[in-house]
Amino acid sequence: MSSPESAPAVRCDGLTRRYGERVALDAVSLTVARGERLLLTGGNGAGKTTLLRVLATVLRPHAGEVAIDGHVLPRDARKVRPAIGYVGHEPLVYPALTARENLELYAALYGVGRERIDQVLDLAGLNGRGADPAGELSRGLRQRLGLARAMLHSPSLLLLDEPTTGLDEDGRERLRGVLAAHRGAAVIATHEPDWFAGLEHGRLRLAAGRAA
Amino acid sequence: MRAYRALLRKDLLLELRGRELVPAMVVFVVGALVLVRLGLGGERLAGGTRAATGLLWVVVVFTSMLALVRSFAQEREHGIWDGLLSAPADRSAIWAARASATFLFLGVTQAVALPLFWLFFLQDGRSPSLAVLAAALALADLGVAMLGALLAGLVSNVRAREVLLPVLFLPFALPLVSVAVRMTVDSIPPQNGGLGALHGLGFLALYDTIFALLGWALFEYVVED
Repeated sequence: MSSPESAPAVRCDGLTRRYGERVALDAVSLTVARGERLLLTGGNGAGKTTLLRVLATVLRPHAGEVAIDGHVLPRDARKVRPAIGYVGHEPLVYPALTARENLELYAALYGVGRERIDQVLDLAGLNGRGADPAGELSRGLRQRLGLARAMLHSPSLLLLDEPTTGLDEDGRERLRGVLAAHRGAAVIATHEPDWFAGLEHGRLRLAAGRAA
Repeated sequence: MRAYRALLRKDLLLELRGRELVPAMVVFVVGALVLVRLGLGGERLAGGTRAATGLLWVVVVFTSMLALVRSFAQEREHGIWDGLLSAPADRSAIWAARASATFLFLGVTQAVALPLFWLFFLQDGRSPSLAVLAAALALADLGVAMLGALLAGLVSNVRAREVLLPVLFLPFALPLVSVAVRMTVDSIPPQNGGLGALHGLGFLALYDTIFALLGWALFEYVVED
């Protein structure tokens, strides 16, 4: 195994994950070098979200080997979590808490100073909306809040699950800006691969849990 | 510690804004005690103080189930588990914060229930030993909260969680509640539940210590998918 310093950002070798009897990921192998952005494409139920959740250390792999920055999952999950910024299908925020309160919670979980909160609110274009309950924000603004949450701790690996969903033009431009400025690696599941033209370094198409 | 404080603050803020649990718990406990009182009419409860104390704890345990079955409901309904579980903070902080919040909610509920209990079932002017009673309640509530938060995490992604949680919780809680009943009886003179105060408190403290260690060590694994 390569040392953590020289290892790729993401390496999957024969990754398999099941939900009961159903195989969601079937021996998927991929490598994402540091600084690379990989697009995951494929239809609904192809396994994109499952792959991102395994990489985010939320799901355990059932077979095969997965390593982030050379650290093997799930054994070294605690070591890699500080490096990961994950935007899921949902923005992963509490609707009854304000945008700022949600970010304060995650800042505490990631050990980040509160001064970073204003920076990510600005980054996501949520200035002036920090005091609004997350549940009262539009779908697009909640998506921006999810992105702000994922960027709080300046992660070196971004895992984005359909990040353009619900975003207006300004939101999309901000997302483009975040990705262009991000010096680390990214794995992005999307149904709009053409929108990422110029930002991607490679694509992997999944079909029924297998690399197609 | 920072993660624990932030998670506890979140749990308290959610309750303050949503008022989902504490009002329901208070209404349930008051309703149950009033119904029993009305059912007795002017009669004393057969079995005296012991029966009344047992009744109080049955009501407390079922009230706690109201809070426990809704534990982690927001995390489940809004997919927030993924956000919490992918964060680098120790996952046992999630359990500790949830147990602490449940402990506080139970305390509020009992602050309403106990005066009613005394009013309805101990009308002969006997005053309990407040130190023993408070220690017994605090230790028993802590055990209920820690055990409940651990099991609520275990069943949080199970479809039949509302049924499964009480089925798992009640057998584990039985020794705790049994001693809590006897301690509560002991706190009311001249009754004697047959259990020395120190022995009873020692048992409750041991139970709490065991479930504190189990919750801290196991929560990481019980919420893993």
